[in-house]
Amino acid sequence: MRVQINRREFMAAAGAGLGLLQPARTRAAVPTAPVAIARCRSYGPEYVAATEKMFDQLGGLGRLVKGKTVTIKINLSGNEDVRQDYLPAGRSIWTNPHTVGGVIHLLDKAGARRIRVVEGAWAWPASLEEFMYKAGWDPKLLTGAAPRVELVNTNMPYKGQKPYTRFPVPNGGHLFPAYDLSTAYAESDVLVSMAKMKEHLTAGVTLSIKNCFGASPTTIYGDKVPVDEPAPVPYGGRNTIGHMGSRQPPKSSLPEKDPKSPRQAGYRIPRFIADLAAANPIHLALVEAVETITGAELPRPNGTKFVSPGIIMAGTNCVTTDAAALAVMGFDPMADRGAPPYETCDSTVRLAEELGVGTRDLKQIEVIGVPIKEAVFNFRENGFPRTTLRGGRRGA
Amino acid sequence: MAQLQHAIPIRWAGGPLEIAVRGRTESLNPQARQALERFHDPASLGVLEGSPIDCLVVSWAGGLPEDAAQQKSMAPLLEAAGKRNLAVVGWVAGAADPNAAIAAAKSAGLAGLAIQGFKGQSDFPVILCCERAAVAWDSTAPALAVMDNVWPGVSRQSFGADAGPTSTPWLDSNGWYVQLARARSETPLWLIFDPPGNGNVTPAQSYSTAICDSAAPGARWVISLDANLRSGLAEGNSTARETLKQIGAAAGFYRNHEEWRTFHSLGVVGVISDFTGENFEMSGEILNLMARRNLQFRVIWKSQAMSMPFTGLKALVYADTAAPAAGLRRRLMSFVEQGGLLVAGPKWGPEGKPANPDFPTQFEVRAFGKGRLAVARQELSDAYQVATDTQLLTSHANDLVKVYNGASSGCSLFTGSPDGKRALLQILSYANAGRLSSGLRTVWVRQKYRSCRLWSIGAEGPTPLEASPSEEYFGFEYRIPQATPASFALEFEV
Repeated sequence: MRVQINRREFMAAAGAGLGLLQPARTRAAVPTAPVAIARCRSYGPEYVAATEKMFDQLGGLGRLVKGKTVTIKINLSGNEDVRQDYLPAGRSIWTNPHTVGGVIHLLDKAGARRIRVVEGAWAWPASLEEFMYKAGWDPKLLTGAAPRVELVNTNMPYKGQKPYTRFPVPNGGHLFPAYDLSTAYAESDVLVSMAKMKEHLTAGVTLSIKNCFGASPTTIYGDKVPVDEPAPVPYGGRNTIGHMGSRQPPKSSLPEKDPKSPRQAGYRIPRFIADLAAANPIHLALVEAVETITGAELPRPNGTKFVSPGIIMAGTNCVTTDAAALAVMGFDPMADRGAPPYETCDSTVRLAEELGVGTRDLKQIEVIGVPIKEAVFNFRENGFPRTTLRGGRRGA
Repeated sequence: MAQLQHAIPIRWAGGPLEIAVRGRTESLNPQARQALERFHDPASLGVLEGSPIDCLVVSWAGGLPEDAAQQKSMAPLLEAAGKRNLAVVGWVAGAADPNAAIAAAKSAGLAGLAIQGFKGQSDFPVILCCERAAVAWDSTAPALAVMDNVWPGVSRQSFGADAGPTSTPWLDSNGWYVQLARARSETPLWLIFDPPGNGNVTPAQSYSTAICDSAAPGARWVISLDANLRSGLAEGNSTARETLKQIGAAAGFYRNHEEWRTFHSLGVVGVISDFTGENFEMSGEILNLMARRNLQFRVIWKSQAMSMPFTGLKALVYADTAAPAAGLRRRLMSFVEQGGLLVAGPKWGPEGKPANPDFPTQFEVRAFGKGRLAVARQELSDAYQVATDTQLLTSHANDLVKVYNGASSGCSLFTGSPDGKRALLQILSYANAGRLSSGLRTVWVRQKYRSCRLWSIGAEGPTPLEASPSEEYFGFEYRIPQATPASFALEFEV
């Protein structure tokens, strides 16, 4: 069912196939693709119109999704009852439900055959729809936006004969050689990552690549999973295996490539998510900063601040899109460990670039719409001092 | 009698009998012994000046040689209490002869006695003290007192390997039992329990939690001070006085809102049981864990189940081992046929067609009429799983209340006045911090109300709150001011 139309068809042509076949650190060229940037101050019709225009600027949504099964990975990071101050999560830390509904509408309009909204919300043992109800989202905003919309909790074993499918990482991967993900991903032709633009205490930033950390099922990569087989339901977050590396996933999945590598989250998480971006390619990266928070990925009293950058972005390559987003946030996408926003971690976009996913070099990235220099919203200048930000529960 | 029904009781530990009893069960250091002696002195009542606490529960008889000395030496304290309009109730325990204790109490002018295990008749006010499972619900006593309670708070086990299955802390609470009792009897319920011992200092906030956990659902805690606080009060310590002041403020707050005790649960899930024997263990624990999951429930005693309206209920849980009587069974199946969910044990019966849910559950779910049956595959043994599965099967789409940025160690209680004109949402925090550090709180409610007033526990007056429509959902939201304590109440005008 998994149609191999992904990278060759939608990423820029130059060197893509060649890059994937070469050893990671010796590759001369990696793919590039344009990134569209638009101003947007609200989540309703303005968002839909601006997003549709960005899709047109990128060559049209129809050629990407017509007749296809499209999977939208949204971001419902952390617990369902957490807010930045009094603000609903969709205005500060999560993908906004109205934007998801808008994108579903545009996908349907562009001819998508089937649309699935997926997320592996933290330790949630039931349906995604039920998580949304608990969180105070109306799932009908999504399921009612088009016909044939399904919601899938990818933390749970996928219904059917094959709950999980193995996704090998091209070039062998940084952390794991392959990842076992919900078969919902394997049944998908097109993967859309809808991310909120945020800083992240472990990974520096959370954009379209980091958003897909939640694709790793907590029944396999979560806390308290059994030794031999996936857990029947999630028991916890992704701390012990993903962040700390204090144990391996169940034996039914492949272990890490190098168990002696650093057991440090700032080393592990960027590699984990760069691997996922290579193994389970993102065909459409949507980064939203109509409103968001600075300082971290989840609210922290006196550590995170609500802001309204009024910017949205789209691209068909997750690395080029995230690189442009880093620049919009006031960071240098070529920066690496030790420099903002990677003071305590490695650069995800560099690691994904090494896997041949895309270039982070702005000189190689065409920006359409609002120029980066006009779109810049400096997250550090609009946040609290960094010294207040350590600790607390991590999210995506 | 009426005085006892509205009293705020405090265990006033002092005198030779108290010293004898405590000397047998705990190590009494000189300071603690001195405090017990001083609390027997009428001058000790000075610490209650200005406090709403108006009932002393004193040791009266224990079947020990010190009984006589205790009763004889009590006269000055009783006289001083009378001058302060404090009712005095004698505590009778152990091998004491209840009839002799009653005669002595009458003679001494006590307002009543609280007698453990008393089964006789008396024209003297006797509060029946017993364990939870042995309460004489139909008694005409001025109050019922239960003794096998827990000190409310975050369970000490939570800090070890015994945290809840989702890593949330276990809570110790008596609230579920109070709801169970209130559904059965309107007689005032006193809860007897002491602060954790071992010489620990119990924080003032922890005392407030004990009062809230008891009073929010409609009972009274017989306030019991730890040895350190007694000593501090006896020595005139200002911190100790401040702690007692806070205890009095919390207790007085609930007496000022005595009408809240008459409110009934607005929960969407009803739990039906006879709450006796082994059914008490399972059904009681289901209530306890539903409360922990903030699943608003209604207690339905089986004896009332034929007459109680099921209006507003989305689900019923029938967890008793024995099948219900034919009439009740028909009524429950009718509830399902009309669209409700019935959660039942494995012997329920074969009705319905398979309609498995999208999550693993210990229940076989079947469609029947417009509703569903969830019949356990095996005998019910895990109350946590029953509560969890019931909540998911009922669906959070039917939630009445949500709290954002609330305490992870919190519970909520949603009730309505008998005339339907008011609703009350009580938010209780079981952490020892009086205020939250997790950020500004928002309360979501499903229904639109005409007005809302915020009551901080212990506050004399309310703060009006405005509702705003939820931005990402239906329903309405209230922004709780930052300075609000961790526990508070929202009173709505319907």
